[in-house]
Amino acid sequence: MTETFASPGASLRTFTGEQLIVAKHVANLHNGFAFWPRAEEGPPALGDYRWTEDLILATWLMAETGRPPQNGLEYKVGASGGGFDLLDFKFLPQDQWLPVGVEIDLSIPLNKRGEGVEIEIPIPIYGGGMSYGSVSEQVMQSRARAAQKWGTFTSTGEGGYPLSLVPYKDNIITQVATGMFGVREETIQYAPIVEFKYAQGAKPGLGGHLLGDKATTTVAAMRESVPWVSLFSPFPFHSVYSVEDHRKHVDWIRTTNPRALVSVKVSTPTDVDMVAVGSYFAGANIVHLDGSYGGTGAAPEIAKKNIAMPIEFAIPRVHKYLESENVRDQVTLMASGGVRTAYDIAKAIALGVDGCVLGTAELVAIGCTRCSNCERGRGCPFGLTTTDPLLSQLMPVDWGAERLSNLYEAYAFQLRDILRKLGLKSIRALRGRRDLLKYIG
Amino acid sequence: MRSSSAGPNLVTQESPSAYQRYHISTRLAPDLEKWPSRFKVHVRKTGLAKLLVKELIHYRGRLAPVLSRPCMYGVFSGPIGGFAPREHLCVGCLRCTTEFPDFVRVEHNAERRKLGDSYFTFNYMDAISYEASTGLIPVKGAGYRGKFGGEGWDGMWTDMSEIVRPTRDGIHGREFISTVVDIGYTPNFLLFDENDKPYGAEPHSFSIPLPILFDASPNHSAEKLAGIFALAADQIGSLAVLPFDEVLKLADFGESVAPVLLPEDGNRIHELDFNPRLIEMQGWDQPLFDALGERFPESIVALRTGFETEETLLQYFDRGVRVFHLLADLHGRSMDGRFVLDLIRTAHKRFVDAGVRQEVTLIGSGGIIAAEHVAKAVLCGLDAVALDTPLLVALQAKFNGDAMERGNSSFSFPDSLSEEWGVQRLKNLAASWRDQLLEVLGAMGLREVRRLRGEMGRAMFMRTLEAEAFADIEGYSGGSP
Repeated sequence: MTETFASPGASLRTFTGEQLIVAKHVANLHNGFAFWPRAEEGPPALGDYRWTEDLILATWLMAETGRPPQNGLEYKVGASGGGFDLLDFKFLPQDQWLPVGVEIDLSIPLNKRGEGVEIEIPIPIYGGGMSYGSVSEQVMQSRARAAQKWGTFTSTGEGGYPLSLVPYKDNIITQVATGMFGVREETIQYAPIVEFKYAQGAKPGLGGHLLGDKATTTVAAMRESVPWVSLFSPFPFHSVYSVEDHRKHVDWIRTTNPRALVSVKVSTPTDVDMVAVGSYFAGANIVHLDGSYGGTGAAPEIAKKNIAMPIEFAIPRVHKYLESENVRDQVTLMASGGVRTAYDIAKAIALGVDGCVLGTAELVAIGCTRCSNCERGRGCPFGLTTTDPLLSQLMPVDWGAERLSNLYEAYAFQLRDILRKLGLKSIRALRGRRDLLKYIG
Repeated sequence: MRSSSAGPNLVTQESPSAYQRYHISTRLAPDLEKWPSRFKVHVRKTGLAKLLVKELIHYRGRLAPVLSRPCMYGVFSGPIGGFAPREHLCVGCLRCTTEFPDFVRVEHNAERRKLGDSYFTFNYMDAISYEASTGLIPVKGAGYRGKFGGEGWDGMWTDMSEIVRPTRDGIHGREFISTVVDIGYTPNFLLFDENDKPYGAEPHSFSIPLPILFDASPNHSAEKLAGIFALAADQIGSLAVLPFDEVLKLADFGESVAPVLLPEDGNRIHELDFNPRLIEMQGWDQPLFDALGERFPESIVALRTGFETEETLLQYFDRGVRVFHLLADLHGRSMDGRFVLDLIRTAHKRFVDAGVRQEVTLIGSGGIIAAEHVAKAVLCGLDAVALDTPLLVALQAKFNGDAMERGNSSFSFPDSLSEEWGVQRLKNLAASWRDQLLEVLGAMGLREVRRLRGEMGRAMFMRTLEAEAFADIEGYSGGSP
């Protein structure tokens, strides 16, 4: 292990007690994140069926090195016994793989409607909405910096738009959610993409939850609410009763910011296919399906497992329906909610989406152990899903941005490797290729 | 006879101002006995001592950083900190072991994982412990952690409505979602004579404000428990289904107790000196059924029988039974091994196909051990559930071995179990489960639980969804959608 104390040689008198405390724990944590993936055995209580110990440790390692693990950690699948974990690729025989030097394109377009601003992202992933309040401002800044570096996006979530994000506004999606927290004309005008959050996978049919302990004075100010009072966002939008109403919503955004693309984030009910088509015809550039097994914030346990279908089942349903309506190539389809690895991303694309939206994977990269205590008291003990001024210093912005950037690097590396072994030169060519998958259940 | 303190959501003509929205009064009722902690925290004392010395030197005696501990939940907050961890406070965040991997180790407590039995596993017990203690809905962060799907309840998802919906905001909203259900007989239509007077079969039912009854298996209903069940049911406006002998002692709760009569109780019905709202007859006995109907014309007489009798349900209907309390074993299985979810669907469909579903009430028990099971059971066709083992777990029962057969299961309870505590625990559980039912109903946009019954268009089954999604993928052998 490396040294665990604050900067050796520095004069201690120049530091306050709080600074020393923060520095001590930051150094210890960083050492731990480096230590455990290389240890012979991981922490005994780490992991669950969806995010196994290996997946968490592998993500920590990828966030450190920018490459997939080479030490035997399982970084491709979890142990859930279903969905992505029962799918694999039918790779070509090795002599038919594309040569290593061949250029492989991972970019995807986010506007396929043939009108409006054309935006392309160089990797088929961007960051999902995590609100200020559910996560710290430092986490938001780290995500924004990583998105800027990679030319992709991250979303504000529904907790408002902190001023510290304005320098990154070209890479930030403004989310308009049912609570309308922090939604103002200028935050809409900042955004290259505005995302309507109709629902979220972890709590489909329910509004966002921010429990009272995390509604600090700054969070409440941002949300124009009362400090220390729990916030339960309404569901659904109280101004939207129909697809026609949704169209008016889109018009509102386009009037305020004519250049913005519109994304519609929906959950996965039985009629998700019709919802997607309706969203498209109401003007969406991006339809974002959020499956039921994801989520980074507080959610009723009953909602996580039992309401709405997993993303693996929703993707083919929507993809096929959009094809049958002859609009599949006019809309970008994104998926989130249970996308944990580069292999999950590739499988989701093979099932029918254009790209994926990440949430939990990003938090794991910057130190989440998935202990599920995000909502408890002051929030995350690792400084991620918290707004506690002291705790949030445990995740330095520069460090977080580097970790996320490395994770993207590792994912891009693996996606190119997958495509190469499938003989494809573009991630766009993988979309909907279920014939390249095999079921291993 | 006492009247129920929390009746159905009705506005009476006499006193419209007396209307109160149905509400179950919750209050903190912490566990009486501490269960084994969730985690075991091991700290190697030499490692910790060395660290403290090292830090004292490094920080030149400044105690703030030295004494700053890697736990915000108080595990190391005792007088000697990490030398004696307070592991009952550990929430398993693993920050301590992340920071100090060489001498702090956190692991799941195997003793805790032994709680319950092979069906009622510790995860369910944990949930009920929280619900019965607080009356709240369990809320956690970081998404779902379990298996993808599975058999039984885990192989089913409920629907939600994305945009178009009449309900707003679930439990936090202003609009009312009704959980009232009717127990009894409702004719498909009314008949009127030439004088516009109704004739023929008339409705014979009563309403309870939530689709949850308490069902006491005879083996586990010591007198104290029966009193707790009756009082709790009374306070939430529901029913406690209790052995006949227990009911005889609980006449004060006449509105809220339902006696179960065994065939041998037939010659004792005269001992019952009040009209229960519901009487359950254990197994079919035509003379007893007739005698009960004659002696207690105001009461609804239900047949309490196993799900495996589904083939003969319509025969019982023809003989006059309109309320069925169908029992699976405590693991949710019928004698022939089928799971309760499939049993419910089959029973419901049998009455639907016969065109008489509206005329009967189906209550189910067995294997319904979590809040989501209530919603799923109603969705599959029940009108109401009658809880069994969850009530015992709410009262901190310990399983003495596997509890599958009603007659052969054994539980032990805290010595200090009091009526007041027990009643509050059951009320808390009912409140939490009702609120969770409201969340599910709200997510679907349904305004009343009666509309959920048999709403199969809002159910999604893993086998169907997987076949639809993966049928054209090589290696999939699960059949066509």
